[in-house]
Amino acid sequence: MGKVPPSFRPAISNSLTRKFPLETPIPNHIPEKITRKKPPHHSRKPEASLASGKAETLFKSPELSSAKKVFNYIVATTKSSIDLRFHNTLLRSYASISTLHDSISLLHHMLKTQPLFSPDRSTYPSCSPNPVTTDIAIRSLCEVGRIDHAVELVKELSLKQSPPDTYTFNFLVKNLCKCRTLSTVYGFIDDMKSSFDIKPDLEVIEVYKKMKEEGVEPDLVTYNTLIFGLSKSGRRRECIGCSCFVGEMERKGCTPNSCTYNTLLHGLCKCRLMEKGMELYGAMKSAGMKLETASYATLVRALCREGRVAEAYDVFDYAVESKSLTDVAAYSTLEVTLKWLKKARQQGLAV
Amino acid sequence: MLPQRLKKTITDNPKKLANLIDLVNLPSPVREFVGQSQISRLGCFMRVWSYIKENNLQDPNNKNLVNCDEKLKSILLGKSRVELAELPALIKLHFPKVPKSAT
Repeated sequence: MGKVPPSFRPAISNSLTRKFPLETPIPNHIPEKITRKKPPHHSRKPEASLASGKAETLFKSPELSSAKKVFNYIVATTKSSIDLRFHNTLLRSYASISTLHDSISLLHHMLKTQPLFSPDRSTYPSCSPNPVTTDIAIRSLCEVGRIDHAVELVKELSLKQSPPDTYTFNFLVKNLCKCRTLSTVYGFIDDMKSSFDIKPDLEVIEVYKKMKEEGVEPDLVTYNTLIFGLSKSGRRRECIGCSCFVGEMERKGCTPNSCTYNTLLHGLCKCRLMEKGMELYGAMKSAGMKLETASYATLVRALCREGRVAEAYDVFDYAVESKSLTDVAAYSTLEVTLKWLKKARQQGLAV
Repeated sequence: MLPQRLKKTITDNPKKLANLIDLVNLPSPVREFVGQSQISRLGCFMRVWSYIKENNLQDPNNKNLVNCDEKLKSILLGKSRVELAELPALIKLHFPKVPKSAT
């Protein structure tokens, strides 16, 4: 259970001068380290701060049930509202004398009983979060209906190098679907994918299907996000799935827009589904749709990789003619790709 | 969302951009071909490529190959057959190399 970051401990030297409602004596050792983080948003609650200093000596036994009792007692008797640091300190001190599992259970308990408690990163240094911790935390938050907090937590933890595993992630997505619009859901998935490289399973598609069964209508944004997420994964099954989506979108009268096509094209090329890719490109061309830089680049590269250089030049021509890109951009992409092709051919990576 | 390697292409590198679009005084074969005394590398490429298309110089069996006519040969190192993939590189040869120490 490592060292405690100084930011964790509140600066409580000032507050010691105030009166403290609890009856038990003030502990001898008082944390001296001053928090390095910027001051908390809420105003100082002197009693609570002091209480957290006290937390050190409160947990006499590693047993979970007595820990819970102590916790409840403190909560019940402290008149002022309890801040996050208090919880954190409690948890930390408990964690130092008990098993990881028990401290997680205590956390769970805290979550249930304290509606204002929102665990953040600082809660976790005590029990170095791993996917299990994360998972339990997320599940607890979802159970008590605090999905937004769960999402926040996931993002924070991912920043901290302990991203949720697939189970957690999918669980969260399911919960999100239950109580949020689909576009939020897919926005979330998209965020996770682009920032943290977490890939949703096809399970997500299952969820999506379920949503439709329950009568929630996806809109253009939803579809776009879904296609974006799936096609970025670069996996064939998902890309083929995407193409089906486009068909479905049209059937629903939800006309796919340029973004949809471009994203899909990008995805198809990445997966080397060139036949479908060229079909799509043909459709876009006849519709006079503009190419985006990314899909243009990927398409040119994919064609060159297959030795279809003349077609790549065609795409270049189209890009210039439709003014999808500036001459300079279109040309330099082409040039760079051809340079790459030369090297790749030498290495046997391309035709 | 450009892949990292492509981002380095042009927009980040003003020197390379200049290299592509600055007008340059040309050696005679190129000058004759384009009919101008100055042209940028990009402009030259576009001219050559449209010349190829207009005159149907691409091999009908393999569009990746170009059968050069006399005019084209004069600027593409006298080659009678050229691969499309090589075209930008060949054209680049006519343009002065910017020494790395400059600017």
